[in-house]
Amino acid sequence: MPDVEIDLARTPLFDAHVALGGKMVPFAGFEMPVQYRLGALKEYTAVRNGEAGIFDITHMGQVRVSGNDALAYLQYLTTNDVSKLVDGQVQYSALLNESGTFIDDITTYKILDNEYYLCINAANRHKDVAHLQTQAASFDVSVVDESDDTTLLALQGAAAQAALQPLLDRDLESIGYYKFAQIKVNGVDGIVSRTGYTGEDGFEIYIPNAIAVDVWDDLLQNGAVPIGLAARDMLRTEMGYALYGHEISDAVTPVEAKLMWITKLDKGDFIGKVAVEARKSAGPRQRLIAIKLVGRGIPREHYPVSVDGALSGEITSGMHSPMAGGVALAYVKPEHAESGELSVEIRGKQVAAERSKLPFVRSNVRR
Amino acid sequence: MTIPANLKYTKDHEWVRIDGDIATFGITDHAQEALGDIVFVELPDIDRELEAGEAYAVVESVKAVSDVYSPVAGAVVEVNEELEGEPEKVNTDAFGGGWIAKVKISGDATVELMTDDEYNTFLEE
Repeated sequence: MPDVEIDLARTPLFDAHVALGGKMVPFAGFEMPVQYRLGALKEYTAVRNGEAGIFDITHMGQVRVSGNDALAYLQYLTTNDVSKLVDGQVQYSALLNESGTFIDDITTYKILDNEYYLCINAANRHKDVAHLQTQAASFDVSVVDESDDTTLLALQGAAAQAALQPLLDRDLESIGYYKFAQIKVNGVDGIVSRTGYTGEDGFEIYIPNAIAVDVWDDLLQNGAVPIGLAARDMLRTEMGYALYGHEISDAVTPVEAKLMWITKLDKGDFIGKVAVEARKSAGPRQRLIAIKLVGRGIPREHYPVSVDGALSGEITSGMHSPMAGGVALAYVKPEHAESGELSVEIRGKQVAAERSKLPFVRSNVRR
Repeated sequence: MTIPANLKYTKDHEWVRIDGDIATFGITDHAQEALGDIVFVELPDIDRELEAGEAYAVVESVKAVSDVYSPVAGAVVEVNEELEGEPEKVNTDAFGGGWIAKVKISGDATVELMTDDEYNTFLEE
């Protein structure tokens, strides 16, 4: 098969990544750094062991929803209860199909009563925006895709606050977990939330592309360590956080994905609700479990998982955790979620495994 | 990183050192650099008979799983068990402490082997 030329997008920080020795790889339509000179393991360690890691996650999308029906619209489009949000609060949520399966998982930021901001996955951006705009026709809302204008940085780790504070004119101490502020970053309007994907304290920083390089350089100057996609995936897998295309997809509902905690069946009608209720009463077709390998090896995505010697499912995300060993998330048959001897097939051999609690390593987010 | 003159090299970026009828195998510095942090090495069983070009070990980095191929034919007589606890030796000392296995050579069959100069040229191509 001939190579297919795909036009990959670049973030405003592309040159900065290359200058730092970033190994650039295709990811969700972008050229992104999978690691820098330090290497994935040391990058991971920097974030877990008290430093501040800086991640370019500009590939993610941002959509602003505003108008008189903004609340009613988001209640109908997303699974979580948007009416529970106060101004300046962030909520983990999802967009579902009528069949109750995932279009995407998202975060919803409540700016004001009639204004919200959504952060969506890069790979789903165009699908999400099309869905959001189609559904907007029946509501008094405007839906604007701001992704191309917005740089998104994550700053994660115990030293994140100290590294970020000098760029801001407001005390970060006042921003709690899953809260945000519209705030000047180096004098320019941005959004800073105390959120992340690593299990460490930290922030996500939304800024206009024009100041991306300055802010990146300032944060490096303040001691932040650049972190690539490989370490980012290690950090999120250790927390058991779902990743679209792995634990969640248009093949599973929140019932299977252990995401009923963001699916509020009592809040009124929303897209996918009827199907989720039906799935809930019929029971999940498969269930997501956390696995630790007992024998030697590394459990990886798509490796078969057996229970009592019979094939039950497969791994959706797996890795070698420097702190916890071989760890993985896997879908298995519902009757195997809690009992039965687990094994993972690695290169034709069955390697013993056991069920684990999540997260695999201690979370240090600020509750 | 200089490429040692006393080793031979394959196009798959393995190295082999031949001392009499014993051959020692590893992966090159270029290979470990391309793979990134090695977190697991699956070693072959002792006495396993290998053909030249046969996959005999697996090296896993954070993101990738890679087969390692035997440059010559022979039976495995020793494996580097230190790699079970310290797989990172493949990164830090690819041509030395990061060796993977030793075989007793049987027969003349080898994959195409290059000298250090030839391998250097191969890397530059």
